Amino acid sequence: MRSQNPLGTVNALRSVRARNESAWLLPVSSPDVAERMRSYADDDEVDLVIVGCGAGGSTLAQRLARQGWSIVVLEAGPFWEPERDWVSDEAGSHHLYWTEPRVIDGEDPVPLGSNNSGRGVGGSMVHFAGYAPRFHPSDFQTETLDGVGADWPLDYEDLRPYYEDMEEELPVAGQDWPWGEPHSYPHSPHPVGGNGEVFLRGAENCGIEARVGPVAISNGRFGHRRHCIYRGFCLQGCKVDAKASPLITHVPDAIAHGAEIRANSTAIRVDVDARTGLARGVHFVQGGVERFQRARIVAVAAYSIETPRLLLNSSSPRFPEGLCNDFDLVGRYLMVQGAPQTGGRFEDEVRMYKAPPPEVSSEQFYETDPSKPYKRGFSIQTVSPLPITWAEHVAAQGHWGRELRRRMTDYVHWACLGALCEFLPLPGNRVTLDAEKDRRGMPVAHVTYSRGGNDKRLMKAAQETMEQILRAAGAAEVMTIERYAHLVGGARMAADQEHGVVDADCRTFAVPNLFLTDGSVLPTQGSANPALTIMALAARTAARLAAGARQGVRRPTEASVQQSE
Amino acid sequence: MTLPLPEHDGGGRFPGQRSLEQRDHWDEATSSLILSRVGRPPDVCFFNAEEEGIASAMLDQLVGQEGEPRVPLVNVVDARLAAGETDGWRYADLPEDGEVWRRSVRYIDEDSRERYGVGFAKATPAQQEAVLEAVHGLEGQWHGMPAGHVWNLWLRYACTAFYAHPWAWDEIGFPGPAYPRGYSNLGVGRREHFEVRDARPGEQA
Ligand SMILES: Cc1cc2nc3c(=O)[nH]c(=O)nc-3n(C[C@H](O)[C@H](O)[C@H](O)COP(=O)(O)OP(=O)(O)OC[C@H]3O[C@@H](n4cnc5c(N)ncnc54)[C@H](O)[C@@H]3O)c2cc1C
Ligand code: SF4
Repeated sequence: MRSQNPLGTVNALRSVRARNESAWLLPVSSPDVAERMRSYADDDEVDLVIVGCGAGGSTLAQRLARQGWSIVVLEAGPFWEPERDWVSDEAGSHHLYWTEPRVIDGEDPVPLGSNNSGRGVGGSMVHFAGYAPRFHPSDFQTETLDGVGADWPLDYEDLRPYYEDMEEELPVAGQDWPWGEPHSYPHSPHPVGGNGEVFLRGAENCGIEARVGPVAISNGRFGHRRHCIYRGFCLQGCKVDAKASPLITHVPDAIAHGAEIRANSTAIRVDVDARTGLARGVHFVQGGVERFQRARIVAVAAYSIETPRLLLNSSSPRFPEGLCNDFDLVGRYLMVQGAPQTGGRFEDEVRMYKAPPPEVSSEQFYETDPSKPYKRGFSIQTVSPLPITWAEHVAAQGHWGRELRRRMTDYVHWACLGALCEFLPLPGNRVTLDAEKDRRGMPVAHVTYSRGGNDKRLMKAAQETMEQILRAAGAAEVMTIERYAHLVGGARMAADQEHGVVDADCRTFAVPNLFLTDGSVLPTQGSANPALTIMALAARTAARLAAGARQGVRRPTEASVQQSE
Repeated sequence: MTLPLPEHDGGGRFPGQRSLEQRDHWDEATSSLILSRVGRPPDVCFFNAEEEGIASAMLDQLVGQEGEPRVPLVNVVDARLAAGETDGWRYADLPEDGEVWRRSVRYIDEDSRERYGVGFAKATPAQQEAVLEAVHGLEGQWHGMPAGHVWNLWLRYACTAFYAHPWAWDEIGFPGPAYPRGYSNLGVGRREHFEVRDARPGEQA
């Protein structure tokens, strides 16, 4: 466990800074960072080109830039200037979301955009809530332990050191954590607002354990990061720089070590040499003009929908069904968490819009409980919808017109909890290419989702538990709506190519110098929010790449040479 | 300005709540955005004149707007559709958002004429409400589109346009943007000096 004594803190800060200086390089727009950024020519064969500058892509870039690798990161969205581009307003934050066309289908179609997909430098974490829990050790072997889901080709222990590093670099604040592998956090817990207070009180009254945290919001001195002002607009991008996103936690250090972040550049195809079976670089569109960046190694980190879409769109004679899709696995086993939200009405004013939405959580129901009619479990967290999201919540109850207006005037009296239910990976939940094309002429993603029986039973149990907590806190009325949260999977990792697209190092089985380093590689999702795990996995991949010779990874495996002949 | 909301619909619960009066405490980017919402509404260009009239009446009904002043919903929704500013997804069994809206206003108008012999824009508020409620209650298809998915889309656009407006915030006791000032009084029952206490806290049924 980490020490929280002052001397320990000073030492920890020193070692974080030696590993990743981002927080000390802020603001990103300062001439020191922005104007010093390197720029490579398309003809330069860089060591590594990364598609997507979000959680996974930025972490990989920062780590390997520090190793002296030449790196270009292609990012479809803009390079944000928070003070200029972000607003303290719900509707005005629309441009933070991935809003290019996508089609949703299946028995339980999953809304995308603001719910789960970001764009621009920093990726989805720019508008993520900020919860940063670890996965539990059991998450890595659900098939062995519970007969559901899939085993990962690595263990919790393989990720532990990277979890610890990331918790220091974001940094994460929270109480000592009793669940999964017990651990502490580098920063102490934040004070809670009305919503957190209700959760803590209700949980205590019905004998459920809840804790403050873990949130990726610094609490105390950390480089040039400013302190949280408890304004509650975390999902709209933190203008204060208190909440972590790669834009402030990894990109500055990557740039300082020579990486080029090429914004407004959308990858459309990964190029694989038919003769060698190796990736040669990435075709991308910038300002309407198609270009090609050469690279010795390619990593795709465009998240669970765009990564499979890019692979599927990169077909060739060798890969007629899409790149790395020899076993029809690309796009499959896409997952979302069931995220029912329960509101509770209190005569006192809760005003849940104050303080960050991520405040308090409980993982008491995370693990399989043999006495229950379902496998795996759920976690419960505060969520604090702002007015537009709350209106959608009320509308989802079937209210509209004057009744909607009337109920909305009651906004300040409501507290709101959300659950994350571990939905199981199913092959039919997948990304395919639609007939519709985007403005670049690339087929848009068609996303199909249906729930299984275990998923539905979990949703119900989570709802009952949240209603119990809110009633125990004194709510006179409760209401629950069904929602989904987060995305992972779509190109999962496995022990062999018949079961997964990448190995434990995130290297694709089919193309030895092609890596996927984002949420799409997760084989299961637990009931934890995924960003910390995505970053830890990317940091691990970086460490593996740095340890091996750069030439080594370029040598094709025998299998890939045979297949390409 | 205060929106006209009768007391039995929750009006007047936060007397004196005026988010716009806090504008000096907002950052520049946020402030110019919010002020544009109370300024001159954007000209309608996606809908033609007839569609505009129907869509306007529809949107007002969806969030219960009657009388002046009102949030110019049709202008806001029209601007979004003209710019193709979608939520980043569409249901596989519906066309693109703009097309759904065009069809919706046409079919709503047809429904109204069939029921009451008068176009939707000129029907009485009670008639308009009944025409919409018929779609809301529908299980299956409405003019060849899945009613539930269409309803969901209407409300998403209507709620986003309405609850983005400072007058709507005043009505629900929400003080609006909070940067760079932030909040200092956290916790149940605690307020900042610019937050107004609910005058009728026992209201909700
Ligand atoms: C509203 C919301 C709340 C959330 N809350 C939490 C939370 O509290 N805790 C948590 O752990 N997680 C949360 N998440 C999820 C978390 O943000 C994501 O799981 C995580 O950021 C995914 O990391 P990634 O690297 O896979 O993808 P991203 O971070 O999404 O990065 C992918 C990047 O690739 C870019 N890209 C996509 N396609 C292309 C292309 N063709 N060419 C170039 N660039 C491309 C995108 O623009 C994007 O910037 C939340 C997400 C949202 C949207
Ligand atoms: S509540 Fe804190 S962390 Fe969240 S956006 Fe505001 S300042 Fe940033």
